[in-house]
Amino acid sequence: MKNKAVKFLYIAGVTGLLTLGSCSKKIDEAYVNPNATTRVPVETMLPGIIGNMVGSSSAQGSAYGTANDGLYIGRYVQFWATNTTGNQFDQMAGATGASDLLGSVWAMHYYGMGQNLGRMIDWAAEEGKTDFVGVGYAIRAWSWLTMTNMYGDAILRQAFDANRLVFDYDSQEDMYNEVRRLCHLAIATLNSATSSPQLAQGDAYFYGGDLNKWKKFAYSVLSRSFNHLTNKSIYNPDSVIYYANLGINNASDNAAAKFLATGLSGTYNFFGPFRSNVGALRQSRFIANLMIGLNPMFPAVTDPRAPYIIRGNTNGTYRGIRPNKGSDGLATNDQPENFWGQAFSSTTAPGTDVTCRYIFRNGSPFPIITAAEVHFMKAEAYLRKGAAFAAQARQSYIDGINASFDMLTGTADYHNSVPAAMQITPASRAAYLANPVVVPAVGSLTRSHIMLQKFIAMYGFGLVETWVDIRRYHYTDLDPVTGLQVYADLTPPSGTDLFTDNFGKLVYRARPRYNSEFLYNIAALDAVGGRALDYHTKEQWFSKP
Amino acid sequence: MRKILRLFFGLALVMFLLPHLAQAQERTVTGTIVSEDNKTPLVGVTVRVKGTKRITQTDANGKFSIKMNPGETLQFSYVGYVTAEAKPGEGETVGISLKTADNMMGEVVVTAMDIKRNPRELGYSVQKVSGTEIQETQRENFLNSLQGRVAGLTLDQTSGVAGASSSIVLRGFNSLSLSNQPLYVVDGVILDNQSLNETSSGGQGIGLASDRPNRNNDYQNRIADINPNDIETITVLKGPEATALYGSQASSGAIVITTKRPKTTKLSVQYDNSFRFQRVTRWPEVLDAYANGVNNVASNVFSYYGPAYAPGTQLFDNKKQFFRTGFAQTHNLGVDFGFKKSLFRFSASYFDQKGVVPNNDFRRINLRLSNTTKLWNDKLEIIPSVAYIKSENNKVLRSAGGYLLSLLIWPNTNDIRNYEDASTGDKLDLFSGLSANGEYDNPLFNVRKNRSYDETDRKTASLGININPFKWLSISGRFGYDTYDMFGYQFYHPQSFYVTAGSGGTLDNYWRQYEGYNHTITATFKKTFGKHWNFRLMGGTMWQDYETRMFASYGTNIVDNVNTTDGKMYRAPRDANGNPTGPAVVVSDRDLNNLLGNYMDTTVTRPITRLRLLRNRFGEYNLNILRQAAYFGEFAVSFKNFVFLNYTHRFEEASTLPAQNRKYNYPGGSLSIIMSDMIPSLKKGGVLGYWKLRTSLAGTARLNTPYSTQSVFVNNFASGGGFSYGFFNNSLDLGPERQSTYELGTEFRLFNSRLNLDITYYNTKNKGQIIQNFRLSYGTGFVLNTQNAASTRNQGIEIAVDYDILKGKALAWNMRFNFNKMWNKVIGMPRNVAEYYIADTWLYGNARGGLVLGGPTTSITAIAYRRNDKGQILINPLSGLPVSTPAFIVVGDRNPDFTVGWMNTFRWKNWKLNFLLDLKAGGDIFNGTNRFLTNVGKSKLTADRYQPRVISGVLFNGLENSGTPTANTIAVIPAFNNQYYTTMPEEAFIEKNVNWFRLRDVTLSYTFPKNFIKSFKSLSAFITGNDLILLTNYSGADPAVNGNTAGSLGVGAFGFDYGTLPSPLQVNLGLRASF
Repeated sequence: MKNKAVKFLYIAGVTGLLTLGSCSKKIDEAYVNPNATTRVPVETMLPGIIGNMVGSSSAQGSAYGTANDGLYIGRYVQFWATNTTGNQFDQMAGATGASDLLGSVWAMHYYGMGQNLGRMIDWAAEEGKTDFVGVGYAIRAWSWLTMTNMYGDAILRQAFDANRLVFDYDSQEDMYNEVRRLCHLAIATLNSATSSPQLAQGDAYFYGGDLNKWKKFAYSVLSRSFNHLTNKSIYNPDSVIYYANLGINNASDNAAAKFLATGLSGTYNFFGPFRSNVGALRQSRFIANLMIGLNPMFPAVTDPRAPYIIRGNTNGTYRGIRPNKGSDGLATNDQPENFWGQAFSSTTAPGTDVTCRYIFRNGSPFPIITAAEVHFMKAEAYLRKGAAFAAQARQSYIDGINASFDMLTGTADYHNSVPAAMQITPASRAAYLANPVVVPAVGSLTRSHIMLQKFIAMYGFGLVETWVDIRRYHYTDLDPVTGLQVYADLTPPSGTDLFTDNFGKLVYRARPRYNSEFLYNIAALDAVGGRALDYHTKEQWFSKP
Repeated sequence: MRKILRLFFGLALVMFLLPHLAQAQERTVTGTIVSEDNKTPLVGVTVRVKGTKRITQTDANGKFSIKMNPGETLQFSYVGYVTAEAKPGEGETVGISLKTADNMMGEVVVTAMDIKRNPRELGYSVQKVSGTEIQETQRENFLNSLQGRVAGLTLDQTSGVAGASSSIVLRGFNSLSLSNQPLYVVDGVILDNQSLNETSSGGQGIGLASDRPNRNNDYQNRIADINPNDIETITVLKGPEATALYGSQASSGAIVITTKRPKTTKLSVQYDNSFRFQRVTRWPEVLDAYANGVNNVASNVFSYYGPAYAPGTQLFDNKKQFFRTGFAQTHNLGVDFGFKKSLFRFSASYFDQKGVVPNNDFRRINLRLSNTTKLWNDKLEIIPSVAYIKSENNKVLRSAGGYLLSLLIWPNTNDIRNYEDASTGDKLDLFSGLSANGEYDNPLFNVRKNRSYDETDRKTASLGININPFKWLSISGRFGYDTYDMFGYQFYHPQSFYVTAGSGGTLDNYWRQYEGYNHTITATFKKTFGKHWNFRLMGGTMWQDYETRMFASYGTNIVDNVNTTDGKMYRAPRDANGNPTGPAVVVSDRDLNNLLGNYMDTTVTRPITRLRLLRNRFGEYNLNILRQAAYFGEFAVSFKNFVFLNYTHRFEEASTLPAQNRKYNYPGGSLSIIMSDMIPSLKKGGVLGYWKLRTSLAGTARLNTPYSTQSVFVNNFASGGGFSYGFFNNSLDLGPERQSTYELGTEFRLFNSRLNLDITYYNTKNKGQIIQNFRLSYGTGFVLNTQNAASTRNQGIEIAVDYDILKGKALAWNMRFNFNKMWNKVIGMPRNVAEYYIADTWLYGNARGGLVLGGPTTSITAIAYRRNDKGQILINPLSGLPVSTPAFIVVGDRNPDFTVGWMNTFRWKNWKLNFLLDLKAGGDIFNGTNRFLTNVGKSKLTADRYQPRVISGVLFNGLENSGTPTANTIAVIPAFNNQYYTTMPEEAFIEKNVNWFRLRDVTLSYTFPKNFIKSFKSLSAFITGNDLILLTNYSGADPAVNGNTAGSLGVGAFGFDYGTLPSPLQVNLGLRASF
C-alpha cells in the first residue's frame, strides 16, 4: 500500500511539473493584446499626424488641432464674434474651471502628434525612408512653434518621455531654438531624400509627397520664427527675408490640409456644416469694414475678395458685429448671414454645403501656411530694414495681395462656390491693386497696410499666426512712423465687455490644457504662475522687447 | 496502517462469529465516533462506562473498544461537542455522531476550494445565507436578496427596471480603478459575472464599437443568470484571508454558492410559483405650476421659468399615463430521483416580467440537471451538472438620454400620449417650428422608438470528483466550463433628440461570446499525532482560462438625414456600395420599421459610416483573454480541538502582467482559539456557552485588466485613414496590486446559544494600487497610463447578532442584526496628482467621484461656492450671485456612517412572518436629478422664485479677505433672473448625511396541515412584499441609486443620482408544493 501511495504521488508530481511548463507558455501567449498592433507602416501614421494640424479624428481623441482652438482665438483677433452676448471668449477670457477649451493645440502637439510623430521618424529612419524623416521634422518644427505661440512656456526637454510622471516647463526662447534646429534638420534631410510612393500615399491630403513643397514649408516655418521677434533687439529682418525667399512664394505651393469629406465626420473640414462647429460665429465688424471701405486705412475701397471671405445680408451689403454685443444693434436686414449662408439667428447647420463658401465648406482645404503670409512677412521685414528697401517692401506687399487673390481664384472650393456674378475677374483684381489707397507709392507703405492686408489674406484660417501678429503689436500699438494704430480700427473689448478675471488686461496666451496639467502637473504649472486667474493675460517672450 | 485495518477486520470478524459467546457476561464493545457535521472521525473522545472508572479514548480513526456489562451505559465526551450516551445492545457495534456543542444551524461551512470546515476552526468571519431565505424574497437577481443579510455587504442596484444589473461589494472599496466585486464560485467552480462594459478604448477592447461610458444603458451582470431556486446556501467569504486560496480573482472576497443536491432515490417533485405586481410610487417631486419660458417671459423652451399657468389651464397627469403596473410570473420545478447510489436532480424555472416602464420586459428560462454518484464503496464520488439559461431583455435608456428626465420635465399642458403622428408614426413636435432633433424626446417616444435589447444563451457544466483512496488521503477535483453567446443592440431613432439631423439615426450592435474554463485539484493528507495533535496538509493547483470575444459594429444614417425645417426623414435609394441611385424621398417612421425589421443589424446603416472593433475589420472577433495558473498549499494544525492554526501560501502566474512581474505569491495565516473549551470554567453558570477568539492575516494581489499595460495603435478616422496611437502609455513595469489585511474577531454564544454574537474588525492596506486610466501630463506623449500609483487603507467593524427571543413550539421569534461600519482613506498618491477621478462617474454637471490624498476613497468632488478665508460665500458684485470655485474640490463623502440589517422571523403554528429592515445612516449623495430640474425650473427648490432675496455673503471685490469685507446687499428676484438657479454650483446639490430606513422584504407564509390535499407532501402559500416602505431624509426619489452599471470599475457611481428609476414597490403571491 505504501508503494502505491508513493507511485501515486510520483505520477502526480511529474504531471504537475509538465503542466507547469505548458501553463506558462499559454499564459505568455495571452499577454499581448491580440486586437491591435504595436507597429504600423509609417505611411499609415502620416494621415493622422496631418489630421492633427487642423482637427484630428482618431478612435481615441478628436478635434485636436488649430481649428478647434481657433474658434476662440478667432474671437480674440476679431475674425468673428458670437451672435449672442455673454460669451466669455468674446470678452477675452481664458478657459476657466475644468474646461479643456483652448487646450486642443496642446493635445495636438503632445498627444495627437506626440509619440506618433516621434515613432514615424524613428521607424522611417530605421527603414531608410528619409523622405518621411524629413517631413516628420518639418511638421514637428511647425507644431512646436504653433504650440508655444499659444501657451508660452511649456514642456520641451522632458517632452515625450513616456516614463516620467512630472514635466518641467522650459522657456519659449528654448522652443524657438528647437524650432530652428528642427527646420534645418528637416531641410538637410529632405535635401538628401527622394520622394517615395509611400509618402505620396501618406501625404495624400497635404502635399501629395512633393518634397520641394515640404522644404518650402520648413523654410516658411523658419521665416516665421524670425518674424515673430520684431520687438526684440535680436530681431534680424535679413533672416526673415532669406528664409521667406526659400519658402512658399506661390499660391500653388500653399500648405493646406485637404479633406475627403465622405462618410466619417473626421474626414470633413472642421468649419464645414457637417461638423457643425461655427454655427454661433458671425463675422466681425472689423473684417467687414476692412473689406468694404469703412476702415480708415482703405477708405471707400470695396475688396473684390469680400464675397469669398465674408457673408452678405438680405440688404445685399456686408456688415459685422463687435464682440460681446450680440447682433450689435444691426437691423435684421443688416445682420450678416452665418458662415453657412443662413440667417443671422440660425445656429443649426444645413444638411449640405451648397450655400457655404471659402473655408466653411465640407471639403474646403484648410490653409496652414500660405504664400501670401510669406510675402507679407517679407514686406514687413523690408519695411523695418529702412527706407532703402522701400521698393522691395512694396513689391512683397503686392506679391502678398496677389498670392491671396491667387489662392481664392485657384482653389475650386473657394472660387466655384461663389455666385458667378460676384467672382473675382482679372479686371476687378487689377483695379483693386491699381488703387493707390490699397497699394500706395514707393515710400508711402506703412505697417498698417501690411498687417491689415495680411489680416485679410489669412482671414478665418490664420488663427494662431494672426494672433501672434496682433500680440506683437499689443493689439493697439501705434506705428512709430505714422503715429496711428497699426491695426487701424481694431477695438479690443474693454470695461464690462472684458472678462472680470482679466483685471482690465487683454489676452496674451492660453492656459495649458486642463486635463493634462491642472490635475497632474501642478508643480510645473505653479512655477510659471499657471493657476493665476489672469495667467492668460501674461505677455509671452516672443512679443516682449 | 495495514495493521490497523487488519485489526479492524479481525475484530469485526470476531464480533460477527462469536456473538453468542458474549451473552450475559462482560463483553467488549467497539465502535466509531465521528463528528456529525463532516463525518470525520474524532480522535481522543473520552469513552466512559457511566458510573464507573472504566475509561478509554478513541484512536486516530475514531475507534474505541471498551469492556462493559449488560445494562451499563456508555458516555462519550469531547471538547466542543455535546456529550452523548449510548446503550449498545447485544453484539452491536456503536456508531455515534457527536454534535458540536454550539449546535450552530449550519454546522459546516463551505470555504475556499469547496472545502467543508467546522466553523470553529476558522480564523476569519464567514456568514451564511440559506437558499430558502433568498427564495423567499422572490427576487430574480439573487444578489438583490443579500442586502442587509450579511454584515459588510453592500448592494449596488443599478436601477429598478426589468433586467437591471446589480453588484456587490464586500467590506468596502479597496481598489480605486479595478473591480471591487467578489468572485462567484458555484459548487467549487468559478462562474463568470461580467457586465458588458461599453468602453472599447478606441476599438482595441471588447466594448461597443461606439465606445460609450456605461451611463445610458444597462447590461445584466451575468451571475444573475443563476436560478435563485437552485441555491442551497450562500457562504460569504469577506476577507482575503478567507479567500487567499482563490487568489487574486477573489481579492475582493468570494460568494460561494452551493446548489441543491438530490436527497433521495425516491421520486420527489417540488413546484412553486409566484405572481408579482409592481408599481412606481417614488419619483422626484416636481413643480408643476409654471409655464415654459425664461425670466418670467413665456417661450417655447424646455425651461419652466415662464409665468404661472393661467387659472383653468388643463394639466395632464403624465406620470400616471407613462408608468404601468408591472407584472411578473415565476414557475419553479424541482424533481429528485435516483437509482441506487446515483441521485439526480432536475430543476427548471421560468421567469417572465413586464416592467413598470413601457417596452421594458425581461424573460429568463433556467434548466439544470445535476447528479451525485458514488462508486467503489463510496471511495469515488462524482458530481456532474449541466445548466442552460436563456434570457431576453427589452431595455430602455436611462440617465442622460433616458425617459425619466424627459418625463420629469415634460410640460403637463401636453398629453404625453400624443407623441407620434397617427398615420406615419413620425415624432410629433411639441413646439412647432423646431426641428425634430432639436427637441426633447417625449418619454413614450423615447422608450418605444429608441430601442435596446439583448439576449443571452448560456451553458454551464461542472464536474466534481472526490477520491478517498486511503484514510489519510483525499483528492478532489472541480472542473467548470461556462460559455454564453450574447447578442444585443441599441438604436437611436433618426428623429431623436439624442442624435443630430445629419446622422440619420444610429445603431450599435454586438455579438459577444464567452468561454471560461477553470479547474481546481487538491490533495489533502491528514495525520494525527498522539491524542491531541491533528495535522492536515493540502496541496493543489488551479487553472483559469477565460476568453471573451466581441464583434461590435456601429453605424449611422439609417436615413440620409432629418430635414431641419420640416422634421421629416429623407432617404435616397442606394446601390450595393451605398452610393445613391436617385433623389432622396420622404421616409416615415412606419417605413423605417419595415426597413429595420425585428432584427436590428447594422447592415441597415450606411456602409461608409460603420465603425467596428479593430479585429472585426478582418472578420475576426476582438478578444479578451485572462489566464492564470496557481499552486497553493495549506498547513493546518489543531490541538485538542480548541486551538487551530492555519497557514496557506499561493503562487500565481497571470497573463495580464509583464513577464518579469508575472509570478508572485502571498501568504495567509489564521488562528482560532475556543476560549470556552480551553478554560471550561468559563461555561459555569450557564451564561456563556461558547467563546471563540480568532485572528488572521493575509496578503493577496489584484490584477489589471488584460492588455492595459500596452500601448497600441487605433484607427485614425481623419482623411487618409491609417492609425494613431491610442490614449494608453506602455507600462511595462506594472506589478500586481498588493493587498494585506488583518482581521480580529470574537464569537460568543450565550444563554444556551439563544443569543449569538460575532464581532469582527478588519484592516486592509492596498499598496501599489493599479490605477488604470490614470492621467498624467500629455508630456508623456499619451493621455492615460496604467500605474502602480496610490495606496489606500480600508477598515471596518462588523457585528452580527442572532437572538432567539422566543423559542416555543407554537410561537417562535428570531431576530438578527447585521451592523456594519466602514471607513477608508487614500494614504498614498503621486505628488503631482491633485485629484484622481473615475471618468465614468462624471455623469452630469460638475460633480464626480474624485478623490484626494488623505481623503476617503468614496469622496465626491465638485465645483463649490467660492469662499473667503472666513468661509463666507463670495458674491459677484455685478450680479449679486455667488461665485464658484475654479476647480473641483471635495464636497462630500458617499460612505455611510453605518448600516444595519435587521431581520425578524416569527413563527406561530403554521404561520410564518419574516421581514428585513434595512437602515443606512449618513453618507452624502449628489442629487444630479434635482440639479437638472433646478436648471429647467421644475425643482421644488424654485417654488419661491418670486421672493426677493439677498444672498448672504461678501462681495468678491478685492476686499473679501480684508478686515472689512463688503457685505452683499444686492437683492435678486430669481423669477426674473434665472441665473440665480442655473449658475448654482453643484455643491448646492450635495445632500449631506442621507439616511434611509426601509422595509426591504416582508414575507407571510402559511403551511397547510399535512394531508390537506392528498398526494401533496407539503403545501404552503405566501405573500411577499419588496421595498414597501422607505423613510428617508433624501429629497430625491430613492437614495439607493447608482449612476453607472455594474460593469464600471473602481468605486463606481453609487451616490450619484441622475435620471435613474429606483426599485418599484412590488408584491408577490404564490404557492409552494411538493409531491
